[in-house]
Order: sequence, then structure tokens, then C-alpha cells
Amino acid sequence: MPHWAMVIDLDKCVGCQSCSAACQAENNVLFVGPEQAELGRAIFWNEVFCHIEGEYPHVKATIVPRPCFHCENPPCVKVCPVGATYKREEDGLVLQRYERCIGCRYCAVACPYGARYFTWHAPEWPEGMDRYQNPDVLLRPVGIVEKCTFCIHRLEKGLPIPACNQACPADARYFGDLDDPNSEVSQLARSPRALRLLEDLGTEPRVFYLKEGA
Amino acid sequence: MVTKLTRRDFLRIAGVGTAAAALCEIGPRAPLLRALGPDEQVAAQAHQEVWQATICQQCQAGCGLLVRVVDGRAVKIEGNPLHPSNKGKICPKAQAGLQVLYDPDRIKGPMRRVGERGEGQWEPISWDEAIGQVVDRLAELRDEGQSHTVVFLTGRVLGQMEGLIARFCQAYGTPNHITHNSISAAATEVAHWLTQGHRDFLGYDWEHTNYLLSFGVSMLEAWRPTVRNVKAYGHMRRGRPQRRLRMVQVDTRFSITAAKADEWVPIRPGTDGALALGIAYVIINEGLYDKDFVAQHTFGFEDWSDEKSIQHMGFKTLVLRDYAPSQVEAITGVPAETITRIAREFATNRPAVAIGDRGISMWSNGLFNQIAVHALNALVGSIDTRGGVLTQRVAPFLPWPELATDPVAEEGRSQPRVDHVGTRRYPLAEDVYQQLPESIIGDDPYPVNALFLYYTNPLFSSPEVGRFYEAFEKVPFIVSFSPFLDDSTAYADLILPDHTYLERLQDVALPPSLGYPVVGLAQPAVAPLFDTRHTGDVLLEIAHVLKEPVARSFPWRSFAEVVQYRISGLWLSEQGDITATEFDFFWEEFARRSVWSDPPYNFGEWGRVLATPSGRFEFYSQSLRDQLAKVAGDDLEGLLEELRVQARGDEVYLPHYEPPHAVGDPQEYPFFLNTYKLMAHAEGRGANLPQLQEMLGLHVNRKWDSWLEINPGVARALGIADDDWVWVESPLGEKIQVRAVLYPGARPDVVCIPFELGHRAYGHWAKGRGVNPNWLIANETAGLTGTSAPFATRVKVYKV
Repeated sequence: MPHWAMVIDLDKCVGCQSCSAACQAENNVLFVGPEQAELGRAIFWNEVFCHIEGEYPHVKATIVPRPCFHCENPPCVKVCPVGATYKREEDGLVLQRYERCIGCRYCAVACPYGARYFTWHAPEWPEGMDRYQNPDVLLRPVGIVEKCTFCIHRLEKGLPIPACNQACPADARYFGDLDDPNSEVSQLARSPRALRLLEDLGTEPRVFYLKEGA
Repeated sequence: MVTKLTRRDFLRIAGVGTAAAALCEIGPRAPLLRALGPDEQVAAQAHQEVWQATICQQCQAGCGLLVRVVDGRAVKIEGNPLHPSNKGKICPKAQAGLQVLYDPDRIKGPMRRVGERGEGQWEPISWDEAIGQVVDRLAELRDEGQSHTVVFLTGRVLGQMEGLIARFCQAYGTPNHITHNSISAAATEVAHWLTQGHRDFLGYDWEHTNYLLSFGVSMLEAWRPTVRNVKAYGHMRRGRPQRRLRMVQVDTRFSITAAKADEWVPIRPGTDGALALGIAYVIINEGLYDKDFVAQHTFGFEDWSDEKSIQHMGFKTLVLRDYAPSQVEAITGVPAETITRIAREFATNRPAVAIGDRGISMWSNGLFNQIAVHALNALVGSIDTRGGVLTQRVAPFLPWPELATDPVAEEGRSQPRVDHVGTRRYPLAEDVYQQLPESIIGDDPYPVNALFLYYTNPLFSSPEVGRFYEAFEKVPFIVSFSPFLDDSTAYADLILPDHTYLERLQDVALPPSLGYPVVGLAQPAVAPLFDTRHTGDVLLEIAHVLKEPVARSFPWRSFAEVVQYRISGLWLSEQGDITATEFDFFWEEFARRSVWSDPPYNFGEWGRVLATPSGRFEFYSQSLRDQLAKVAGDDLEGLLEELRVQARGDEVYLPHYEPPHAVGDPQEYPFFLNTYKLMAHAEGRGANLPQLQEMLGLHVNRKWDSWLEINPGVARALGIADDDWVWVESPLGEKIQVRAVLYPGARPDVVCIPFELGHRAYGHWAKGRGVNPNWLIANETAGLTGTSAPFATRVKVYKV
């Protein structure tokens, strides 16, 4: 089995959030609405962050898209008291058994990257909008934790490209087998521009970033 | 159909304990794991899945799509890899198309107003009745010799709908087909017409560009075709080893595009033309310009004398006289050293391209700003070169047939237009959309008796919106074709709802970008959900029911036939990437791919590229001189005065800087108001798409609401903290309440509100959410081009 990994080139990324939109559409992630969003409860399995710093006119923005990192050493798995979160050995994906999740949110706290989202409410699909649900992806009930799966349903259909990568207009995202030294992701992951977030925690994310700038 | 899944259902369906291993299998091979009832499972096993190729219509860019359709339901949108513009990639607006289709607030069939205007009381009627009412009214007006008092107002019309509506107006007998270009970016097109002879936007050979100097263009957010721009950006940054694009963004706010550039140059609003001319000064003064190109392909660079031996000033003389960096610094606030450095970089890192659009062209001086910026491309020889500016070739559609002879229609369409285009008021204009309120309210030049709205929402997207509301009151008959109950449709008398674009056949030509023509075919991905009809079909039916001779100009039974008629020109041309012995085969292949294109772009077709009177790039615009002379008669001085053009003599026709007009006293109203668009803004139509609203303001971390970006230092001086509610008030006396964001990317003299929200109707997600800055914006028009100057309005900001 391939060992799936992702590379995101921050020099190319322009923060368009096409990855987020594609992910939501693909994975039946419903909007939560203005009130819940104000409380910080919007769900983005792939969330794009933008940090602006400096003082006028010396301003700088950092834009970082963040899927689940599917860590080699995932803290979320260790803290799950019921075995709902687990790492699949054959391909290294970190997955979630929704039916076993008790909604304790230990995993959401343990994940240093904020990649896990609690379903505060059962999604209420507006009349008629349920027609665009993807039949290949489960709907999640209220009170569980959900997150990016690297589009496992696509991988298993033989479509080795997650929806976020498929959509990315800047061609900033790469996906492939980290075990294959000749794959694009393997080569890019070894680039001098490559970095992983909070590497000192020892989580060993399998999402690599390529640094911005010349 | 997937239904809501409760934990209890899940346990029942999945089986506790046994699910662990199987959970990985959530693809179609694991039907048990999906929340389906027994009947649904049978259906699901037999489900039919297709990927329908079509074209996105959330904006003008016309990206190719593949829509995944399962059992007649559209469930996912991805990019069509065969489309040469977006090449399989799409933006978030395209993804949100499913929410356009399945919006529960869609209009479900034709309706007639029964209460007062805008009261929201509607009665469903049949299509026969609805069309009958329109035909009765149109026939009556025509019989009374009043056909010209019908106004057809259109927005971003795509493909053959534009020609069909124009033809409908001509055949019926009204000159008043008025497009929204004058509130969009028409001045940009006029600048290209005056310098290159093409009244159009331009293409760019981004794949080979080394240096990009952008004047206020949100290239990576809202400048179509955005997906191609973003893709090209990725390529220019990383796709060419050893050749990384350098990009400079001149802008009044720190946009995402500015963030992704190498350098942000904040500039005093409305002064971009001066900066471009300061850059030209350095390039000319230091001899860095492309001397071959200037000598061979430009007109009016050096001083010259005409056939009557009258001496004329050249561009070089003017620039060296008036635009030294120190002079320009005083106008723009950009340091002279920065101007000099950027000029040298621009001239020595070719191919270099300078771009400008709405942000600089929609000002009282916008035409000259845009001309000055485009003149930089000519100076460094970037017109029609690899990595430079391309002049879009148009697709060889079959020409429309002659209109039927009809004296009534001829009489009607020969009447003056209600927006006064081509008169002394607006000598270069083709449309003056924002003139309508004054014309309608003042019966100037005559009363408007019927108003048709297609893809446009004047009660939301015009400057000084309140005035348009008054104008609506005065029009006795308003018809909207919108599939949504938007602000203007809510004030209509009759609604004839169109399909949404995933249900509709529509050709969509790529806007200028690649240089070579690309035509896409949007095809229904699903059957219409409701009792809606294609507006093209409705117009044809209206024409057919109107008695002869109107009907004779429309020999097609359906809009699909219109499209096929026009598209057959592509087949007959034997150009492009689809060839066939018969049209049926051509069409079959066209429909399969949903795109036809005719690459490559051939450089050096100078006769086509420079279609000016001199056949050269005109620094000195003879078209401008001739057009003004035609309108002015023997009173050019008076005309320039009326148009508020300050320059005189040759300077008028050369790239030059005019100070912009502002509305409001700078002491009382210290800020310019910048209303901009973000990636999630679907041309002002996206407020009813919850998915986009939930990712709206990435750079300020705001969702589902409007905000005001204000410089932190200035805000603190006004006692305004982050997230405080503030009033924003303009000299119109209007004010809006919005939350402040202390944003270091805001200039001290500019505040910014994104344009998208603040609808008074448009479904329950959009209605009453956020603010519409257009209520504050004075209806300023640049006389020369007839284009709106929305950025001219000053505002004040104070705590609630």
C-alpha cells in the first residue's frame, strides 16, 4: 500500500480557499450558519488561515491551508479513550470511527494543528439542498469529532487525488506515495524549501509545506 | 438518497463492533455503511453516475466544468481538464454552484405582483398568461409609436443571449438595450480602443512574463479569468527554474494580491496615472525604452507635424516636462526613489507587463489613468510579444441574419437613448447605466414605460441606490427574468424566472485572456427543478407571438437553435480544434468536450493588433481627437469644460494626469471609500450562497457579515477599537452601520468595505445581512466615457 502524503507550496498558494470549498462539497461538510460561525464552530476539514502582521505600510501576510496532517505519530490517537481514532497501518491514514466516538473531544484538544472539529449540531440540510450530498461519504451525527480523511473514498475508488488537490487553481498541492522515492511528493518533501509545522513536537506530519519566497 | 444520520441509525446500520475494519470502506462498495433504507439501497446499487461537461457561469470567466450527476442529482463540481483556460481547476465560486441550483429560495414559476410594489405579495400564474401579459404591453406600446420607451437593462450577459437581446430590442423597435458596463469597467475598454483600436479587454501571455506591475488589479482574487490568473501566478513563481516572476502591486489597500506580490506600493487614491507617467519619465529619460518598437509601431512619441504643418507635442516632451519623479511623488505620495527603482526594474526585466482596470479606470480621470498605464506596455515593447500583452482574436460565429424590414421598429430604434450616449454629455460612451434614475425621474428625454431586467440588480449594484428605488416607482411595468427574488426582482410587476445555469444551455465565450478564441458550451447537468424557462426561449416566444414583422427576424424555434446557428460559423471556418465533415458531427464533439478553441496566438499580426487610424499604438489618440471634434462641433473648449477635462491642446489626446474629482469636503469626510471584491464574491451575486459566506473574509477572519477596514492608528485616534460598531456616512446623507476591523493594510486616508452583502431581498441567507456600501456612493460619472466613478465618494467614520 502507498504511504500517502501531501505537499503544499506556500509560494504558489494565494488563499483562494478553493481547497476548502472542494473539501466541503466532496465530504458533505455543511455550513453551520452565521450564529454558529461567530462562535467559531464552522467546520473546515481543510481550513485556510491568513495571518496579517506589521504596521502600515510594512505589512505581511502568511497564508497557510491546513488539512489533517495524518501524522506518523498522531497525538489524537493516543488520547482517544475508546479507540475511535486510529492509524491505519497499511497506508498510514489517521481515521475516525464515527460510531465509536463518544464526543469527549480529547483528540481535538490533543491535535496541535486544530485539524479536528466537533459537530455541535446535527447538520440541518435546508430543504432541497440534501440533493447534492455525495453518496460516497457518510453524514456525521451530532456530538462526534470529524476531520479530513485525505478523501479516502476517492483513494479507494482508485482516484489518488483528494478533492482539495483536484481543485487547487494554483497547482500548489501535490499528493502521492511517500514510500516511493521517485514520487513527486517524496522529492518535494526532501527539498530544502520543505518544512513541517511544529516539527519539534515529534508528530511527524505527512503534510509538508514548501516555504514562500525566492 | 442519503438522509440525516443519527447515532442510533448508525449503530443499527453499521453494527457495533464489526464496523471497525469495514469503516475504511466508505466507497460505493460498502452500501451497508451508508444511511440508506432498503428501497434506497436497491436504487443506490443501480445508481447511474455521469460526469456532465459544462461551463461555469458564476462570473464571466467561462471556466470548463465537469458536474458529477448521480441519479439525476448534481453532487459535485470539478474542473474540465480539456478547457484551455482553467485546465481542470476551479475556484470556490464554481464549487458553490450546487447551492445556486438547490437554493430553497429559488422562484419556482412565473409570478405576478398582487400587492403594492415591493410588498412581497405574489400570485403564481401560468407561462401562457405571463407571456401574454408581456406581449399585450409590448404590442400596445408599439401600436402607439412608443416602442422606444421600453428599456432592456442587462448585466453580465453570456454568449448568444447578448446578441439575442440586442436583436430583440432592434426588431421590436427600441434603442434602449442598456448594459451594466458603465458601472463595471467600460473605461478600461475605451482606453484600449483609443490606443490600440480595440474596444475590449486584453489578453496576456503570462506563461512568459518576467515582471508584473499591477495598478490596483485584484488579479488573484477578482480579475477574470481568475482561475487562469492564479494558475499562471503559480507557474510564474515556481514553474520556471531560475526565472521567478517579480510582481509589484500598486494599490490603495493591502489585498491578497498585494500580499502575494513582492512589493506593495500604497498610493494616494485616484493618482495611478501620475505614477505610471513618473515611471515613463525614468524609462524615457534614461533611454531604457524599446526604441525599435517605439519607432516602428507607435504614433506620437516624438514631436511631430501634421499635413497642415502644424506642430504637435509628442509623448516624450510631455512626460519629460511634467512627470519627473519628484513631481509625481507630490501627487501620488510614492517616494521618488521607489518610482525610479520600479521604472528601472520594469524596463530591464522584460517581458514586463503593466496592468490596470476598474480600480484605476472607474474615476473621473480613469480613462487617462488607464491610458497612462497601458502606455508603459508600449514603451517597453510589450505589445504583442512573448510574455506581453495579447490582443484577443474573436471566434468566427456565423453572422446574424439581416433584420426584417420594419418601418415601425426603424422609427423606434432611431430615437435617442434614455442614457444619452454619444451626445455631448457622454461622447465616448456606449452605455450609461447609472444615468437611468435621472432620465426616468425627469422623463428625459421621454418617459420610460416598461423596464426589463436580465442578470442585473440595479437596486443593489448601482451607485446611490436610493435614487434607483425612486426611479422604479415611476416605471409602470417592470419585468424580471431572475431565478431569484433579488432586490430588484422584489420590485417587479411580473417575474418570468430563468433556469439556473446548471439547468440551462448556454454558450460562453472566454473573455479576453489567452489571445486565441475559446468558446464553451454550457449544457444542462440536470433537468429543470421548477417551472422555469430559458429567457432565450421566452424572448423568442414573445417575438413569435408579437405580430409580424417582429417575428420574422427570429427564424429559430428555440434558443438552442440560435446557439447552433451562431456556432455553425465555427464549424464553417474550418479553424480550431474540432473539424468535421458535417455540422452534426461537429456539434456532437463540441457537446462532448463542451469547448472549442483555436490556438495558437500568432504574434506580429500588426494590422489586427493595432487597428488605430495610424495603424500604430497611438500615444497621441487620433480616435479621441476625431470623436471629440465630431461631438464638439466648433466648441471644443466648451465641451472640455462640460466634461471637466482640464488639459488643453495636444495634451488632451496624450497620456496625461488629471486630478480626480472627489465628492465631499476632505475636512468633514476624511476617507475615500474603497469597495472591493474578494475571491468568494460571485460578481455581487454570491450573498445567497451559504458556503461562500462562511469563508468570506479570509484576511480579516470574518464570515457572514460585512466589515470596515480602517487603519489602526487612525481608528485609535477616533476611539474605535477592533470589532466596534461604527457609522460610515457620506455626503449623500446616507449612513450604514458596520463593524470595524483595525487593518494595518488600510491607508490612513482610505476605508474599505467589501461589495457583496447588504441585500434587502435575495433569499433568507442574504436578506438583511451586512451592509451595501452603494447606498453611500454618489452617482458620479466620468463624462468622457460615461462610466461611473464609484471611488470618488468621501466618507466619515464614527463610533456608534
